[in-house]
Amino acid sequence: MAKRILIVDDEPRYLRLLEANLRTEGYEVVTAQDGLQAVSVFSDQPIDLVLMDVMMPKLDGFGATQRIREFSGTPIIILTAKGDEQDRVRGLDLGADDYLIKPFSATELLARVRAVLRRAQPPSEVGQSRFFTHDNLKIDFARAEVWRGETAISLSATEYRLLLQFAHHVGKIMTSEELLTSVWGPEYRTDKEILWVSIARLRQKLEDDAHTPKHIVTRSGLGYLMPPIED
Amino acid sequence: MDYQTLEYLQELMRTTSQAGNSRSIIEKFLKILREQFVFDNVAVYIQDERSQTLEVVYARAIGRAKNAEADAAWGEMFAGQVVKIGKLLLQDPMPDAPPDDRLSQAYLLGLPLRSDEMVKGALIFVRFGGPIYENEHIAMASFVSSLLSILFERAAWRETNSELRELKRQMQLQEDFVSTISHELRTPLGFIKGYSTSLLRQDTNWDEETQKEFLTIIDEEADRLSLLIENVLESARLQSKTLPLRFQPLRLDSVLRDVIMRLRTRNKDLDVSMDLKPAPPIQGDGVRLAQVFENLFTNAIKYAPSAPIIVLLNHVGSNIIISFMDRGPGIPAESLPHIFDRFYRARNERTISGTGLGLYICKQIIGAHRGKIWAESTPGQGTTFFIELPINSSK
Repeated sequence: MAKRILIVDDEPRYLRLLEANLRTEGYEVVTAQDGLQAVSVFSDQPIDLVLMDVMMPKLDGFGATQRIREFSGTPIIILTAKGDEQDRVRGLDLGADDYLIKPFSATELLARVRAVLRRAQPPSEVGQSRFFTHDNLKIDFARAEVWRGETAISLSATEYRLLLQFAHHVGKIMTSEELLTSVWGPEYRTDKEILWVSIARLRQKLEDDAHTPKHIVTRSGLGYLMPPIED
Repeated sequence: MDYQTLEYLQELMRTTSQAGNSRSIIEKFLKILREQFVFDNVAVYIQDERSQTLEVVYARAIGRAKNAEADAAWGEMFAGQVVKIGKLLLQDPMPDAPPDDRLSQAYLLGLPLRSDEMVKGALIFVRFGGPIYENEHIAMASFVSSLLSILFERAAWRETNSELRELKRQMQLQEDFVSTISHELRTPLGFIKGYSTSLLRQDTNWDEETQKEFLTIIDEEADRLSLLIENVLESARLQSKTLPLRFQPLRLDSVLRDVIMRLRTRNKDLDVSMDLKPAPPIQGDGVRLAQVFENLFTNAIKYAPSAPIIVLLNHVGSNIIISFMDRGPGIPAESLPHIFDRFYRARNERTISGTGLGLYICKQIIGAHRGKIWAESTPGQGTTFFIELPINSSK
C-alpha cells in the first residue's frame, strides 16, 4: 500500500515542489498550511511520515511537532530555512526524526524520506490515539484540551505538561525528581515545593474531590502515580 | 517612637513613593518639613554630569527673604563645599556682617545628596537671623535629604531605563531584520534550488507542462531574489546618503500614469481610479519618485488584495499633495507610528513576505526631495498614504 505523507508549509510553492517530487515516487500526499491544520489533518487519517516546515503562522513547526509527539510516534522530518544548529537541535529534541535544511535538492529530499521510512519503527508505546481517558478525565492531545466529564478545564502550560507525564505513564510511580526534571528542567530537580503546589492545583481542577484524588495519587515517600483503571 | 512621629515618617515615605515629577514631590516634602522645622530659603543643587558644575534645580523663598529676590543668600558657594566634602556642613553668618541687617545674618545648613554612593548634589537650608539649627532639626533635614537622594536616583534610573528601552527596540529591529532577510533571501533560493534539481532528476520524466511550470517558477524566483538584493543595497545606500538623485523638471501626473500602466501589465485586475488636478512641474528624480509610487501601489495590492485604490493629486500653495487610498484591512494604531522605520514590520504582517525596507526607502527618497510622507489608517476601513512635495525641491 502506498505510504501517505503529510507535508506542511505555508508557502504554496514549497507544497507544490514537495508534492510533485513525492508523487513521482508513488507516495500519497496530503497537505497543510500551518501547524494547527497539520495537527488536525494528522489526527484525521493514518499518516506514515510528516514533512514539517518551521516558520508558519498560527502554530509553528516546533509546536506542531510537540503536539503530534504527545500522541504519536510517526516519523517527522523538519524542514528548516534557518540552518542554525540551535533550531536543528530543538527540532530533534522535540521528537523530530531528521531535518532538512532549505535550500535542498529534490534528490536529497527523496533520499531522506526513503531513509526515515526505512528506519520507522512500528507504533511505539506512546499510544497512536488522539484521545486519552482516565475515568471521567479526558485529554485531546491534538488540541491540547482537557475535560472533566463534560466540563472543559483550563490548565496552564506547566500543568498540562505535568498531566501528560502521568497520562503517558499510567500505573507507574513517578518520583518528585523525575517529574521536576521532565516538566521544569534538571535545575529544578530538588525543588519539591513547586511540585507540591502544582499537584495540589492540578487536583483542584481535575478531581471531583481533591482530598480523595482518583487521577493523581500520592504514594508516600515514593512519588505520585495515575493508577490504572480497573474494568 | 511615638505614634505621631511614625505617622509623620510614613507621610514622608508615602510622598517619596508617589508618582509625579521630582519638583512637585520636593514641594510636598518641604511642606511636611515646615511643620517641624523653620527655614527661610531652601535650594536644591544637582551636579551636571557633563559640565561638572552645580545647577540649581529647585529654590524657594518661604520666610523672611520672600521679597529679597536674588539679593538674599542662597548658599551657592556653600553648596559647592558640601558636594566637595560630601558631608553635612553648617555655616554661621560672616563675622563682618552688619548685625542689624537680618538678611545678611544667614545661617546655612547643607546636606549632600547621594546616588550610587557618589555625591551628586546638595540640599541647602537658610535661616536669616537664626535661630541656630538644633540637633533634632539637623537629623530631620538629613532624613529628608536621604529621601531626596532616593528620588533623584529613581529619576536617573528612569531616564537610563527609557534610553535602554529605545536601544533595545533598535537592536530588536536589527535582529528581526537579520532573521527576516535571511528567511526572505533563502525562500527564493530554496525554490530555485528545489525546482531546478527536480528538473535535473534522472530517475523521472516530467511532462512538458510541468517542466514549463517549474521553469517559470525558477525565473520568477530569480527576479524576486534580485529585487530583494537591490532593496537591501539601496536601503544601505540611502542610510549612508550615497544614493545619487538626478533632479529635473517633472510632471507628477505623468509619472503616476506611467507607474499605473506598468503595474496593469503585471496585475490585469488592478482597480485604480484617479483624480489628478492640474499642477505645475516639480524638480525631482523621476525614477526614484516612480519607485515610491510603485511601492505604495504594490503595498496596497499586497496587504489589501483586490480592494480598489483611489489616487488624488492636488496643488496646494507651493506644494503638491498626492494621496493613495485603499479600502484594505488598515494598519493597527500601535504600528502606525513605526511603519516608516527601517526593518519595521507590523505584528499582523508576519505571514506576508516583506523586508521592512519598502516604506523606509520611500521616506528617504521623499525626504531627499524635501517632502513629507505619512499615513492615516482606520483598522477595518482602509489606509491612506499622503505625499507632500514642494514644487521647487532643489532649493
